[in-house]
Amino acid sequence: MADDNLPTCQKTISILWPSFLTAGLATVLFFTAFDPAVLLQETRFADTSRLGAYSIGFFLFWLLTTTSCALTCFYRKPCSPKK
Amino acid sequence: MASKDTHKDESGSLYKKAEKIYPREVHGLFAMWRSIGVLVLLGIYYIAPWLEWADRQAILLDLPNRKFYIFGLTFWPQDFFYFAVLLIIAAFALFFFTAIAGRLWCGYACPQTVWTEIFMWIERKIEGDRPQAMKLDKMPWNARKLRIKGTKHILWLLLAAYTGFTFVGYFTPIDHLTLRILDLSLGGWEWFWIIFYSFATWGNAGFMREQVCIYMCPYARFQSAMFDNDTLIISYDEKRGEPRGSRKRSEDPAEKGLGSCIDCTLCVQVCPTGIDIRNGLQYQCIACSACIDVCDSVMDKMGYEHGLIRYTTENAMQGKPAHILRPRILVYASALLLMAGALGYAIATRVPLEIDIIRDRTKLFHETSRGLIENVYLLQIINKDEQAHDYNLDVSGIEGVKAILKSNVIHIDKGNIAEIPLRLHVDPYDLKKRSSEVTITLQATDNPDIRIEEVTRFLGPTGRR
Repeated sequence: MADDNLPTCQKTISILWPSFLTAGLATVLFFTAFDPAVLLQETRFADTSRLGAYSIGFFLFWLLTTTSCALTCFYRKPCSPKK
Repeated sequence: MASKDTHKDESGSLYKKAEKIYPREVHGLFAMWRSIGVLVLLGIYYIAPWLEWADRQAILLDLPNRKFYIFGLTFWPQDFFYFAVLLIIAAFALFFFTAIAGRLWCGYACPQTVWTEIFMWIERKIEGDRPQAMKLDKMPWNARKLRIKGTKHILWLLLAAYTGFTFVGYFTPIDHLTLRILDLSLGGWEWFWIIFYSFATWGNAGFMREQVCIYMCPYARFQSAMFDNDTLIISYDEKRGEPRGSRKRSEDPAEKGLGSCIDCTLCVQVCPTGIDIRNGLQYQCIACSACIDVCDSVMDKMGYEHGLIRYTTENAMQGKPAHILRPRILVYASALLLMAGALGYAIATRVPLEIDIIRDRTKLFHETSRGLIENVYLLQIINKDEQAHDYNLDVSGIEGVKAILKSNVIHIDKGNIAEIPLRLHVDPYDLKKRSSEVTITLQATDNPDIRIEEVTRFLGPTGRR
């Protein structure tokens, strides 16, 4: 497959970059709709600053989108019937 | 010789080992415009957060307090609609300008281009122009190379750090940010984002450069969809240039059977994305017009006419008439004008008042000692204006509905949210349904234009008894 010729670095970036973009979008939409200060006020994370909550939220979204991008790459590989 | 290092993309693969590109410095008309663009845009970027407006930062996207200040306007998360329309306008503007003049954005205005230009300017001041930089990279590490490379990276990092600091200054007041950096009391997340953005700037403008445009930029992938035969492109005049070949200045090219192209390869050497424009329009071309400038200077030296490489259109190249007004342009332009007009109108007639009605969920309704049906609500009222207001509340929709408030006039300071408990009383004989609509109207006492209505529901027992 053509994919296998890609350097690992570029494979990694091709997963991290689209997920970065969509995570950014998701963060903007999510925190526009929900105020982290309100979401967290009844929890033990109530002391988290909004900036901290946005940042952690962004990285959680990024983790999620990275996972789905990586799974797409993983399942794109056809499975060999010989194995 | 030239064609060897120009056919870099023969494999057809989008991803391959990147070769470092050393763009040669360029002077000329378009280089001047690009420099002006860089100066103006960077000037705006670095200066804008320091502007003041009515005792606060003029442009402040105050994320910690969830308010965006753009000069005299304050936007709340509830105003997301305006932001969405603004993004649509930006998209149509990009389509419009792309259809007319190709990748103007890429060549002159994109932050990637702008910061790459300024980083390359620093690099040239320290390392010298293309041949010196190439020589430096080839030579083994020694004290001199270390000194030159070190100086370059220190300058790059300083600029990148200031860029990161400015970036965070758009989201948290920049004067406080400065003070808190100076007395080292800055919060961890602010440090994190300053450093993150600084490294992104350093990496993107210092190292990745054209690779961002070629591999990462989404616009670069779809911009060709906006092109047609009348779009301004940068093109090499093949008819005039070919057959290319070197010749002495005194020789007549016609006699030697040559075109105007002297095959000096300068157009390839100045290209920031490392392509050969003589191979035709390529998706890597960011339309920076460096090749036009350098080719024109060569034509001057040879005593030939300018424009062997020039801004032109497909139609013009084929001798067909050019059309500026064409359906595509009209569609983009009218969409752009329509959306911009709608946004302008929406902002001009924006009511700086917002109300959220939250029902008391513990009890849907209950009966008072006087036999009236009571519903309890919590009103969240946001005064988005830049001054305090008193508001009158009015309820309608059910006959004889009565609002019980702590005080008749609600006072809210500028930019504040008030949470007001509201009880509505209705005689059960006036209730026709289990759930009836009631309209709550709020109006500023000093300005009848500041008025909003919000509909909610009043719940009761089954209709008439």
